[in-house]
Amino acid sequence: MNYYERPTALQEQAFTEARQHFAEHLKQFNADCEAVHNLERNLAQTATDAFKAALQSSGRVIQTDGGAEWQHGVELMKNISLCHRHTAAGLQFAVVESLPLKSGEITEVLNSGHDVREVLQAFARDQRQVFKVWKDDVTAQVREHLAEKYPHQDMSIVAESFEIKLARAISQRPALAQNHSRGVRI
Amino acid sequence: METIPTNEEPKTPAERLAYSVQEAADMLGINYYTMYRLIQRQKLKTCRVLRGKLLVPRTELLQLLQTELR
Repeated sequence: MNYYERPTALQEQAFTEARQHFAEHLKQFNADCEAVHNLERNLAQTATDAFKAALQSSGRVIQTDGGAEWQHGVELMKNISLCHRHTAAGLQFAVVESLPLKSGEITEVLNSGHDVREVLQAFARDQRQVFKVWKDDVTAQVREHLAEKYPHQDMSIVAESFEIKLARAISQRPALAQNHSRGVRI
Repeated sequence: METIPTNEEPKTPAERLAYSVQEAADMLGINYYTMYRLIQRQKLKTCRVLRGKLLVPRTELLQLLQTELR
């Protein structure tokens, strides 16, 4: 297929149908990407808030599955908090996740350190890796869905459009001009 | 209208060997993002099938629940 070839009517239709089929995935993906971008944008303020919380020594105590106790400082995302504790080596910060599984809650330190900004940056970096795993899986699901729904049709342009859309949400790059991009309007 | 009884019962999800990320998330009662976080941290090992789609083996789900809730 020519790189600059316009999508056919069937490919346009497939894109619209697949977008509806994966609407919930796309909605959640965009919302969670946006949450991490917000965290990155407000990193300095979040670090300040965490320090303030640590100085006040307020906040509920969270016990992780390893038995360590942390004090809740700032809510980063749903079920994920920036916590702190005083140690012999000084103030320590940690990103702690509480997983509300159907069978019970598990609480785990995702990353920790003495420099709150580094802890936050490491967390944001990890989330970008998570989004990459998520993007690749959704793209694979889209390919599978299209292959089942439109057998023997070349729908690679449609799947690529989804992949670009998801990659763009991760990087938050502005959309390319439509007349220079291959694929379906996204 | 009467249905014709069959000897073969449809397989319930619990009998399957592996699940998509969405199915696994539903079973654990967590959202997609949390599932992919578990996968990225290798708390849940996955396998890739045709076209790269991730599948979570049933044994991995059971292991997660057993080790984390012990």
